[in-house]
Amino acid sequence: MASRREQLSTDLANDDQIILASGGYDHTIRLWQTSSGICQKTLQHSEFQVNALEITPDKKVLASASYQHIYMYDLISGSATPVVNYEGTSKNVTCVGFQENGRWMYSGGEDGRARIWDLRSKSNQCPKSFDTRHGTGTNLSPINCAVLHPNQIELFMGDQNGRIYRWDLRTDHNVQLIPENDVMILGIDISPNSAQMASVNNKGMAYIWNLSSSGSDASTTLEPKNKFQAHSRAVLKCKYSPDSRMLITTSADQTARIWDSQEYNLQRELTQNNQRWVWDAAWSADSQYVFTASSDNFVKLWNVATGDREREYPGHQKAVTALAFKDAII
Amino acid sequence: MSFTHTELSCNVNTNLFSKAAVVVNKQNHPEAKMALYDNKYWLLSHIRNSFISTDDTGMCELVMVGEAKQVRENFFSKESFPDPDESDEEDEDDAGSYDIQMDGDYTMRERSMTAARLEKLEYYSRKAAKMKHIKWESRKNVQDEPDGVEPLDELFVKKDTAKTQPECKIQKKSALSALIEQSSNIPVNPYTGYARFDGAGQINLPTKKYRIYLTMLPEQQRNYPLNICCVAAAKVLDLIGLILLKFSTNYAGDYVLKPAPHYGLYITEEDGEVDSDFPNLDPQECVSKFGFTSLGLVEHEKPCQPITVDSPVQVTSLLDGCKKRTTSSSRAEETKQVQNDMMIMDGHNKAMEAPLYKSYTVFIVNKVWWWNIEVHLGISSEKIEIDPITQKNSKLKLGKQGPVSHPMDSIAWCEETDGRGNKRTFRVVYSNSFGTGSTERTNLYSNSFGLSSPLQSSPSFKHYDFEAERNIAEEIVQKINLILELRSGQSRREYLALKDKKHLSKRKQFKYLRS
Repeated sequence: MASRREQLSTDLANDDQIILASGGYDHTIRLWQTSSGICQKTLQHSEFQVNALEITPDKKVLASASYQHIYMYDLISGSATPVVNYEGTSKNVTCVGFQENGRWMYSGGEDGRARIWDLRSKSNQCPKSFDTRHGTGTNLSPINCAVLHPNQIELFMGDQNGRIYRWDLRTDHNVQLIPENDVMILGIDISPNSAQMASVNNKGMAYIWNLSSSGSDASTTLEPKNKFQAHSRAVLKCKYSPDSRMLITTSADQTARIWDSQEYNLQRELTQNNQRWVWDAAWSADSQYVFTASSDNFVKLWNVATGDREREYPGHQKAVTALAFKDAII
Repeated sequence: MSFTHTELSCNVNTNLFSKAAVVVNKQNHPEAKMALYDNKYWLLSHIRNSFISTDDTGMCELVMVGEAKQVRENFFSKESFPDPDESDEEDEDDAGSYDIQMDGDYTMRERSMTAARLEKLEYYSRKAAKMKHIKWESRKNVQDEPDGVEPLDELFVKKDTAKTQPECKIQKKSALSALIEQSSNIPVNPYTGYARFDGAGQINLPTKKYRIYLTMLPEQQRNYPLNICCVAAAKVLDLIGLILLKFSTNYAGDYVLKPAPHYGLYITEEDGEVDSDFPNLDPQECVSKFGFTSLGLVEHEKPCQPITVDSPVQVTSLLDGCKKRTTSSSRAEETKQVQNDMMIMDGHNKAMEAPLYKSYTVFIVNKVWWWNIEVHLGISSEKIEIDPITQKNSKLKLGKQGPVSHPMDSIAWCEETDGRGNKRTFRVVYSNSFGTGSTERTNLYSNSFGLSSPLQSSPSFKHYDFEAERNIAEEIVQKINLILELRSGQSRREYLALKDKKHLSKRKQFKYLRS
């Protein structure tokens, strides 16, 4: 029994550097013990759903994008209530992310504005924002997704009207492109090796660009590489694996699919009967495992090599729409 | 509601009301009610009351409530043909509404929606006080005051992505992969399916909080209940599953647990003692049906069969389990052993608690009167007190007989004597000659040992006969006997000696008869 306890305590120690958080329509954020599938902690969220989750690079803070607010939870103290509340977005905050040193945070919202929040200064003294082009009427076009280029100075965003924006944070210059008309860009990602960018839309299409940059001051240029029908229905998210060799797409067609980043052939299909919409995905640091969040109230862990479902994380009362995962290479 | 409304209503001009029809629009009502009335005073009264009852600030009430009489007098003096019926009416009712009755106590206003909303806001602001709020400010405002502002170009530094390019060819392993491989043999917790009934952190969903006492734990740990928050829509069985999930994660591997239907939830006292008088909560019922917040989790012999803890079946099986343990020591029997130990501990606890004062409601069986008198029977290590419960409407005055108290040293014997149905009678024997106090007085309640008594030769002993519910009677008899055993006073020794003598003499008589 003693050895069992030791085993468990080492598990817990390991779990400290592994953080899995999920949130969704039941208005809670759950932190999971990845090995056992048991919910370690439930964080109190607002009266609104969780749109996106992100963990800071130092693994100390969890950010949750919600309606009009971004809530920050202190993962070290384990407080069940948020410690910081970033407000000012008039509609849903749809995406959130961090600069690699945790100096600032970016967010995109349905109010058509991307914001840079200074995390170091006390009163957010140096904010920066970017407005999308007008969509219907006088409203700005809602931002659905955003990703920071690994060079840390270019933010790529996708909006409700099918536009992709490249916003240079130093110069404030921006470039727009429209890969397909009459669609919504729902997901965007850049491979960690900065070589490729993927975007997915509500028609099930995926677009891939090769990225290149010449010199330290030159901005990134995009060169179309590939376009393919990834799913029969809307694609909700795309994410490159940490080794940049794979891309996962999650979809309303109840599947998540893994593609190689060379030819974009289908490698694995992660599906389960009645799992409904697959909203989000998160890779392990070694790209061997991937988590998915779906409308059947489950977070699931899949083995990428075999396509097997390794674990399930039950506890959410409603659809799970957002995931955040961080572990480390050991 | 603003103050102008109040003024308006106070200066109501009676001429405003035409004889034909006036539309009354009740404010703050979801559907504006319309009514046709031609009684001016009624309308005025109604409007005034609508103001009073719908104004959450209480201002209208403050202003208007005292002046009802004044208004009425003013009203009728202006009317040329006052209706005599109306003027006689409502002399007592100041508020004057036909459908809204005002309480005399104005301070006890019902909580209005506004008050509830304010309270909720306050709750959120109190909670939010712990939270730091950062509001979005546009950059222009900040540029005016550049003190301490980090220049933008320091904030946005381009990282050379080429440096990150060289890929490590060696297959690295992540912490997650290692953990998953390591834990691949650990069986999956069978109760994880119940996790969805966990109500912790739920804001929009109704939840219920429970303190769960786990009877399978050793006595020392049992005192600390498991706090469980459960969604209100869950069934009792789901709650049991959720408890087992929490229990199995808290005490991972230390206890072998059975599937949820093998357990029952019982109502417990605040101190965690399972109340065996009630059956377990129906596993198929919704938890919100029950109002109890302290519950005990008890393992059943068979799934879903309510067995009370103190039933003899359970006890014998426990003892069996205890015996078996010598041959095999499986987990299940160990838990039985634990339960057995607990019962012994319970016995100890009762012995420990016996000297503590406790009051019971019982009936005195009295042969003089044909009815039984309800009394409070207070028992402590010092004395026994009998205090009649005076019935208000009782015509028979028991005032002559006040409360009686007997020092515990005067008590000689206590036993159950008779029982039918759920009732039990028990007898408390005491020494009449002991001490001097209250017992010297003529005691209306007690029967001295008369002709029927087996102890004729000792008029110094008297007794009470009480009647009570079976479990109460048993408890009282057990309690008194425990105290008597502890004290072993003079009276008790005399009584026992007398009893022995009696037996002896009986035997002698038999001998005589035989010879």
